[in-house]
Amino acid sequence: MSTIKASFLPALLATLVCVQPMRGDAQSKLSIDKVYSAYLRNSGTISAKGAIKGYFFLYQSDKIDRHTNEYTLQILDENLNKVRSIKFEDSKKLSLLESAYNGNTLSFLFKNEDNKTLDMKIYDLEGKLKYTYSRAFDKKTDDLMKQYMTLHSDEGMNKNVFDLGEQGFVSVLPMRDGKQRTYEVDYYSSETKKQWTYVPNDDEEKYAFAEYLGSTDSLIILEVMKKNKVMSTKASAHLIAINFVTKKKAWDIDNSTEDVTLLPSSVVSLETGKIMVMGPYFEKDQNIMKDFSRGLAVYEITTAGKITSKVYNTWAGDFAKYLPTNSKGKIDNIGFLYIHKLMKTPDNKLFIVGEGYKRQVSAGGIALMALSGSSAFGATKIVITDMVIMEFNSKYKVVGATIYDKTNNTALANAASDFNSQHVIAAYLKMIGAFDYEFTTGEPDNSSFAVCYSDYERSSEYKGQTFNSIRYNGKKFTTDKIPLKSKASSLKVFPAKAGSVMILEYFKKDKRLDFRLEKLG
Amino acid sequence: MKKPLLLSLGLLLLFWHITVRAQTYTYIPEKPDVTFLQQLSATCKERYTAEIQALPAKNKKDYLELYEERWTGIKERFDGKEIYTGSAAREYLNRVRAEIVRGNPSLKQLTFDCYFSRTAIPNASYIGHGMILFNMGLFSRLRTESEAAFVLCHEIAHCLLRHTENGINNYVVTLNSAEVQAELRKIKGSEYHKKEQLQKLVKGLTFDSRRHSRDHEGQADSMAVELMKHTRFALGGALSALALLDVIDTDSLHTADCLRRFFNAPDYPFQQKWIAKDGGLLGGHARIKDEEMADSLKTHPDCQARIKALEPAVLRAAQPGAGAFIIDSSRFRSLQESFRFEAIEYAYESNKYTRCLFLTLESLDKRPADPYLVTQVGKVLNGLYLAQKAHTLSKVTALPSPDYRANYNLLLQFVQNLYLENIAAINYYYLRQHHPAMSSYAPFHEAYQQSENFFHL
Repeated sequence: MSTIKASFLPALLATLVCVQPMRGDAQSKLSIDKVYSAYLRNSGTISAKGAIKGYFFLYQSDKIDRHTNEYTLQILDENLNKVRSIKFEDSKKLSLLESAYNGNTLSFLFKNEDNKTLDMKIYDLEGKLKYTYSRAFDKKTDDLMKQYMTLHSDEGMNKNVFDLGEQGFVSVLPMRDGKQRTYEVDYYSSETKKQWTYVPNDDEEKYAFAEYLGSTDSLIILEVMKKNKVMSTKASAHLIAINFVTKKKAWDIDNSTEDVTLLPSSVVSLETGKIMVMGPYFEKDQNIMKDFSRGLAVYEITTAGKITSKVYNTWAGDFAKYLPTNSKGKIDNIGFLYIHKLMKTPDNKLFIVGEGYKRQVSAGGIALMALSGSSAFGATKIVITDMVIMEFNSKYKVVGATIYDKTNNTALANAASDFNSQHVIAAYLKMIGAFDYEFTTGEPDNSSFAVCYSDYERSSEYKGQTFNSIRYNGKKFTTDKIPLKSKASSLKVFPAKAGSVMILEYFKKDKRLDFRLEKLG
Repeated sequence: MKKPLLLSLGLLLLFWHITVRAQTYTYIPEKPDVTFLQQLSATCKERYTAEIQALPAKNKKDYLELYEERWTGIKERFDGKEIYTGSAAREYLNRVRAEIVRGNPSLKQLTFDCYFSRTAIPNASYIGHGMILFNMGLFSRLRTESEAAFVLCHEIAHCLLRHTENGINNYVVTLNSAEVQAELRKIKGSEYHKKEQLQKLVKGLTFDSRRHSRDHEGQADSMAVELMKHTRFALGGALSALALLDVIDTDSLHTADCLRRFFNAPDYPFQQKWIAKDGGLLGGHARIKDEEMADSLKTHPDCQARIKALEPAVLRAAQPGAGAFIIDSSRFRSLQESFRFEAIEYAYESNKYTRCLFLTLESLDKRPADPYLVTQVGKVLNGLYLAQKAHTLSKVTALPSPDYRANYNLLLQFVQNLYLENIAAINYYYLRQHHPAMSSYAPFHEAYQQSENFFHL
């Protein structure tokens, strides 16, 4: 009878016997040997207030019976230290979608294919399960599931689950009700067993798409786009606040009484207690889905929903002083700007990160159309261009803009680029992850931050992918670059704690994954 | 009247000259004797080869795997120049060894050598093939030679009683036993609860292994006392050494105060945010309660338990003429002094920059104007600057972790919180305080120039 090899057991036993120290000692480093992807179910970041606080690994640690597995949820802190291992048993058709952290509890959103439920599990910091909230997973949430599988979000950032400070968590999920598309806001308390759901019941339109923008100590703030037909190019933009204490809609700024139409894309809570909202704006008679915006607007709004100030920066006037911009907002060589991120610094400056995209003639596309006679090929293509960082003063007026060159890359080269408006294209590019922008990392108060993006370099010194950053240190911007070619089989860069990135190297031959954190320079 | 005044002035000048000269004496680290290390490594390898040739035929492959793993660990210490080759230290340790062998002639049959290890970790170990390493981090904290003798006797006991070899043998025999193999086969063949069964098996084996390890420590302690009894080293050193080990991990550096003091230049004041940290579960500074090991899983009994076990034998023994110092007390003290610097040098050479900085600050606390120490701060900060710039900071620094003491963790957090411009400015302004006073010391001059370049970039 053959002997089962010693290596079947952990090498831990062996290492104990090899050295006789005077006293016990221990050290650790994160390197995962013998990576077998079959056991690693999910991994991801744990976020709080949009910042990475830790990481999770969910793996199947045992089989209990035909339908049930034992899982281990390994939690790492922001420095990649293993701080908690949570074991539990559940269906073998389980996957972990997202995680969030609010300072005193951890939340994990699971999808259970067996029970057809979405389960929100909330754990205390000892790893003890506090509450489980389940809701049915059916055709109504099909869109959500597709979103997880196909949609892109800024690397490591949550799509649907967000923390609400010490009180709990919120998820904003797309829902389908027959032919109607709507959304649902679910609130999960981490202090008591309390959960409620908000479903809009006053939408006349058949299609409503919501995106979580932020929260205050009592309000959840959403951008909601509504329209009557799925293929309609006419839509209305709303800024909606839901009070998570009263569980009701607090207010809905729908631009109907305003002079212009604001498309809210970012919110920031101000020290004054007000909310700052930023986004492109349009004249009242413009179609927000088809026409070019007039510029960027910044509003200050009270928590009661009253707009107390409005500042407009026009492409043709204000931005043109710093960027070669035409009246439609198109910047020479860069094209249109997609706004990725907004940061307000402690000294009341505002920075907006944008990335250019433009439509260009596609000689290859034209040739293919001529040869094949097919309309599947496009005569134009969409090219992603440079990064642009714009600075605004404390009065929200633009005072500067800097272009950061990078290699153009073709994002879309089919018929879709010929026929769609710039907004639809921008939304699509974001959805498929075509932009080079990766994420922004920095101090919680934005006193220092780094805007990160990928690029491809073709120089005499180096040819290949690079990971780049534009860092603001409170006074000025500096740039940094990490070449992505290494001795590893593959190297990827992920967001990490403020000011840092996590570099993951996979050594195929050794079946080893090495993680390390590095500061951005 | 003028003559006495002149004489006084002359004496004053002479006194000042001597004092200043004494204060500006700068430590020069010992350069590793590479030839000696290579010879020692070769000798050790011969012993390793001889041992594996004498291994039993049954389960030889398993034995070879474990012996090879051990040898790899030993070789890394040679390659990393961890073993201290300074002749004065070697000579001293050999004299302590000789006193132990003199009192215990049977030890002449045992092949063993004792060396100092340059690491600051307060420990000592028998690493196999007759090699005992006495860490500088432990030696520099001891109070007497008899404490050092107890530590050495403890490790000699492990060698004499072949604890490591017996442990390996035990492991291989147990793993290949009919019972364990049957259990493993059963687990391998089962479809469900595989991990649970395996964990149960491993837990049982681990408990046994750790219990053996604790037994070995007890045996080594007892044997050490027995060996010491026949020397001129006072047995009280055994108990006081263990009492010291019980508290040796206590933080000695108040990191926050230290950082504020050293890195607070008028032109670049200390910023509180440099030592800001997140105390929550995920911040790296959490106290993880369930990390406290159960007694049954410890490899070593608690020091207090070890003291209690030895007290009767120690108090019973009569040792006329024994003393705390019998070899060379001034050599003992001077080695302790130099080892503090050597450990710093080794940490720097091994690219453990945060460990090096911590050790340096610990010493700087008592000698803020020591040129070697001041320069070391400069070299480390320059090194951190270059590493951060090259995105290899993680290779030279440790990250805050619940495993570390609070003050060390705070230093790690400090390093994590700094950006390039902070490192450059902190270093430049810190070194500038000592310029040009220390500029005649070449390493300082080099570090200062480099920091100036980085600052102006």
